Amino acid sequence: MFVLQLAVAGIAIGSVYALIALGIVLIYKCSGVVNFAQGGYAMLGAFITYGLTSVGLPSVIALVLAIAVMGGLGALTQILVLRPMLKAPVVAVMMATLGILITFRAVCLLIWGPDQIGFPALFPIGAIELSGIFMTYNYIAAFLLSAILCAGFLAFYHYTPIGLMQRCTADNTRAALAVGIHVSNQVTIAWTASAMLAGLGGALLASLNGLSLGLSNIGLVAFPVIVLGGMTSLPGAVVAGLVLGILQAVTDGVLTPAIERFLREHTDIYSVGTLQQVIPYALLVLVLLVRPQGIFGTKESERV
Amino acid sequence: MLDVSGLSVRYDSVIAALEGIDFEVGEGRIVALLGPNGAGKSTLLKAIAGMLPFEQGEIASGKAVFDGVLLNGKHPAAITRSGIALVQDGRQCFRNLSVGENLKAASFRHSKGAEDRLQLVLTYFPILEEFYARPAGVLSGGQLQMLVIGMALMIQPRLLMLDEPSLGLSPVMVQSVFEIVERLHQDLGMTVVVAEQTVPRLMEIADDVYVLSRGHSVLHAPPDEIDEDRLQSLYLS
Repeated sequence: MFVLQLAVAGIAIGSVYALIALGIVLIYKCSGVVNFAQGGYAMLGAFITYGLTSVGLPSVIALVLAIAVMGGLGALTQILVLRPMLKAPVVAVMMATLGILITFRAVCLLIWGPDQIGFPALFPIGAIELSGIFMTYNYIAAFLLSAILCAGFLAFYHYTPIGLMQRCTADNTRAALAVGIHVSNQVTIAWTASAMLAGLGGALLASLNGLSLGLSNIGLVAFPVIVLGGMTSLPGAVVAGLVLGILQAVTDGVLTPAIERFLREHTDIYSVGTLQQVIPYALLVLVLLVRPQGIFGTKESERV
Repeated sequence: MLDVSGLSVRYDSVIAALEGIDFEVGEGRIVALLGPNGAGKSTLLKAIAGMLPFEQGEIASGKAVFDGVLLNGKHPAAITRSGIALVQDGRQCFRNLSVGENLKAASFRHSKGAEDRLQLVLTYFPILEEFYARPAGVLSGGQLQMLVIGMALMIQPRLLMLDEPSLGLSPVMVQSVFEIVERLHQDLGMTVVVAEQTVPRLMEIADDVYVLSRGHSVLHAPPDEIDEDRLQSLYLS
């Protein structure tokens, strides 16, 4: 029962990971750029939500406004920073995204300081019990919102004209240009959507775990998620996000205490620290060793 | 219809790919653009279609004018909207998308009458209807060539430019590609430019021939003045 309880929490956190990872995959697919700033967008989304509530706005309105601001910011970043780098190597562009991350952290540090901040409640406080498993409204709402948005986003990507243009751009830039698709506009759309997903994901995580600059590290957790999912697979990112969330929760609740108990009995070591933070990267190494193309990825092969 | 004059193209600001090219395409004609590998045929077509900036290339001097409108500096999307479709080399399409989605994507910016054009394309290429829901990646080389020509037709072009459509195809397939070009020309009155290295069949349908070599235009003549020996000597000169 305890493991189930942990799994429920893990699914909620994992669905938020999926939301944030979707944005990274989206940008990678249509421009080949790995966006290291994604964690920064998540953090900034949470801080802006917090900032808007601290001037008196209701938290839900603050959240919606913050997501809109993040969308604008994502578009602006692409237009001001990435478009001028059209002819630059992809590695240089990725370094630029690292610069964006550092800038965001510095700005948040200047405005809100380095300390952990109590994040305003986005959802009613309370919990329900379902055959012995407790679920707080917070976790249920985070899961439901993420799940609906992930599903909605995937549907948008596969069944709308803009989604079709996104997939064309991701599939073959030269062909997209030849049929009259504005490729750079499609990349702007991808950055806008990605920053909005990250902003919402950041605010949801802050509502579960509190808010600090450390939230930007979520970008680093998202990388194992997308590698696990196969880099270019959107459904892969969703499933991998859930797997990672559950693994982290179970590690935190079961594995870490068991290891620490064992170590205390047999050695002088008292604690192994936060093992769940290591799990994503251990998994990353394992996946890269066994299945480099990720679980949902396909081996690159092309008919010539 | 299309008037290119004194066109010079550079890649990476230094490498000269074309030098002072004059190239004219009259309405309703089929123009063959011949030349050996690396002569600059693809570069000329890309310059007209506005694709150069995406491959580190630029028009250094000269101009390309289509129906009185200057094409220099225009985005490929604007150029396709003005009625020019380029079927690039390498059969560029969306291989992870279905055949139907490929055709839909091509008509996205040209939605007026798209349904009728789709029917037309499927009449010309019944194989595309058969594979409509399958990913384009499963098509053979010849079928892919049909798809990319079909996609170009969805743009509703007045000028269709084909870059080495016969490359890597079996002789039978090459034959049917040129039959299609001829039918498009006859049925729809479409103006066509075909870039090839050497195809006797192309000489039968072309109204006009340009030969490029090492970035220079070395010959402009009607097709009956051109034979294999003359081409060889031009290519080697």
